[in-house]
Amino acid sequence: MRVAVSRVAVIAALLLLWEAATGGFGASFQIANPILVARPSSAFAEIGAYAGSGLLGKDLTTTLVAAFAGLAIGMVSGVLLGVLLGYARPVADAIEPVLVALNSLPRIALAPVLLLAFGLGIESKIFLAFITVFFVIFFNTYLGVRSVDPELVKAITVMGGGRSHLARFVVLPSVFSWIFAALRTSVSFALSGAVVGEFVGSTGGLGYRMVIAAGLLDTNRVYAILLLLMVVAVTLVEIAKRVESRLLRWRPSSALLQ
Amino acid sequence: MKVALDGLTIRFRGGVEAVQDVSLDVASGEFVAIVGPSGCGKSTVLNAIAGLLDPAVAVAEGRIALGGAEVARVARRPDLGYVFQRDALLPWETIEGNVEVGLVIRGMPKAARAARVAELLALAGLSEFAHYYPHQVSGGMRQRASLVRSLAYDPSLILMDEPFGALDAQNRMILQGELMRIWERTDTTILFVTHDLAEAITLAQRVVLFSKGPGRILAVYDIALPHPRDPFELRGTPEFARLETMIWTRLRDEFRTDRTATR
Repeated sequence: MRVAVSRVAVIAALLLLWEAATGGFGASFQIANPILVARPSSAFAEIGAYAGSGLLGKDLTTTLVAAFAGLAIGMVSGVLLGVLLGYARPVADAIEPVLVALNSLPRIALAPVLLLAFGLGIESKIFLAFITVFFVIFFNTYLGVRSVDPELVKAITVMGGGRSHLARFVVLPSVFSWIFAALRTSVSFALSGAVVGEFVGSTGGLGYRMVIAAGLLDTNRVYAILLLLMVVAVTLVEIAKRVESRLLRWRPSSALLQ
Repeated sequence: MKVALDGLTIRFRGGVEAVQDVSLDVASGEFVAIVGPSGCGKSTVLNAIAGLLDPAVAVAEGRIALGGAEVARVARRPDLGYVFQRDALLPWETIEGNVEVGLVIRGMPKAARAARVAELLALAGLSEFAHYYPHQVSGGMRQRASLVRSLAYDPSLILMDEPFGALDAQNRMILQGELMRIWERTDTTILFVTHDLAEAITLAQRVVLFSKGPGRILAVYDIALPHPRDPFELRGTPEFARLETMIWTRLRDEFRTDRTATR
C-alpha cells in the first residue's frame, strides 16, 4: 500500500515537472517548446478528442489485432519448431548458424521488406509482430527441450514410464516453464512489431496515426498516442506477468518475487 | 525379489572401468548395503541393475538376473523403485502429485490412487504438506516424499543411491529409522548404496565393501544385529562399535590410498 502511494506520487511529480517545463501553470520560462514537446495536460485532452472522433477505437483495434495475431502465430510456430529441433539434434546443428544469423538481424529492419512483400494492409504488421516474437519463443522452447533434467527422466523411466509419460510429466512442463518465462518479452515485442510496421507504411492503427500527426506537427496527438501505447503495453505486460506467475507458481523464484 | 550379479564389469566408453567382476547374490527380502569410497562405481552398479546405463556412455559385461531371470542390460524393469541422492521430485507437481506419479504410470484408477496417496503421505508424515510444491518444503520432507513415491506401487526391489547423503545428521537418523520401520513391515528387497559405514551397519543385514575405482568387492560382512532396529539405540551398543571398528579397519586403506591418489 505504501509502495503504491509513493509510486503514484512519483508519477504525479513527473507529470507536474513536465507540465511546468513545457510552459504550463503560466511558467515564465520554458525548457521545451510546447510545439515540439507537448504538455501533458494538452496530450491528455487530445486523448479525449481522439476517442471522441471514433478513430481511437478503430486504430487501437487495428494495432491490437495485428499484435495478437502475430503473437499467436509466433508462439505456435516457435513452439512447434523448437520442440522439433530440440529432438532432432543433427538437424538443429545443421541449421543453427542460419537461425543465429536471422536472430541477430534487427527484426525491425525487416519492416520495409515485409511492406513490399505483403502490402499496406494488416498482413505486413502481423508478419512483423510474428517474426519478432517467433525467435524468442523458438529459442526458449528449444532450450527448454534441451535442458530437460536427466535426473527427472531417469526417475520417470525407472517407475516404468514410457515416452508419453516422459512427455507429460517431464518434457512438456519443463518446456512450458521456458515458454511462459518468455511470455512477457513476447507480448511487448509483438506490440512494437505491429506499431513499427504501421510506421513504415499502413492505412490505420496507432502507429499510422502517430506518423501522420508527426508529419502535421500535431505534437499533442503524437504524445497522446505515446501515452496510450504506454498504457496498453503496461496492461498487457501486467496480464502476462499474472498468467506467468499463476502457471509457474511451483517455481521458487516466482513465489519469492510476488 | 532376488538379485544376482555374476561377473559384472562395466566399462565407460574411452576405456575407464567403473566396476570389475562384481558377483553378488541378494536374497528376496534382504537389505544389502554397498559401501565404498566415492568413485568406486557403486552407483553405476545400481544404474546397471535398473537398466539405466546409457549404451552410448557405458558398456556392461556379465550377467544381471532379477527374480531368477536374466534381464537385458538396457530395458525397463517393471517392478523396481529407485531413490536418488537428489530427491528428483518433479518441481511442477505438488508433493501429492509426485507421490502419485508411479500410480498414474501404472494406470491405477483415480479413486484408488487418492486412497493410496493419502496412506503414503500419512506414512511419511506429509499429510499436511500434500498440496505444497517441493521447493516449499525442507530437504528432509522432499526425501521422504521421494521415498514413499518409490514405495507407492509396491516394488519388490528398491535401489537407493545415497538417499540421505544430502541431509543433516539428525534428519538422516530419523529417516533411517523410518526406512527400517517400513522395510521391516514389508518383504521388499533393498539395495542401498552409501559412503557412510555407520549408516550401512545401522540398516543392512549384509554390508558389501567396494574397493576404490574400478570397484571390486573386497569383503562381505553379515550384520547380525537384531530387528526391529532403532538407529539411535543401535549406535550405543558394543556390538555396533565392534562391527564398525572391524569393517572400518578394512575400508580405511581404500580411503587412504584414494586420498593419496587424488593429491
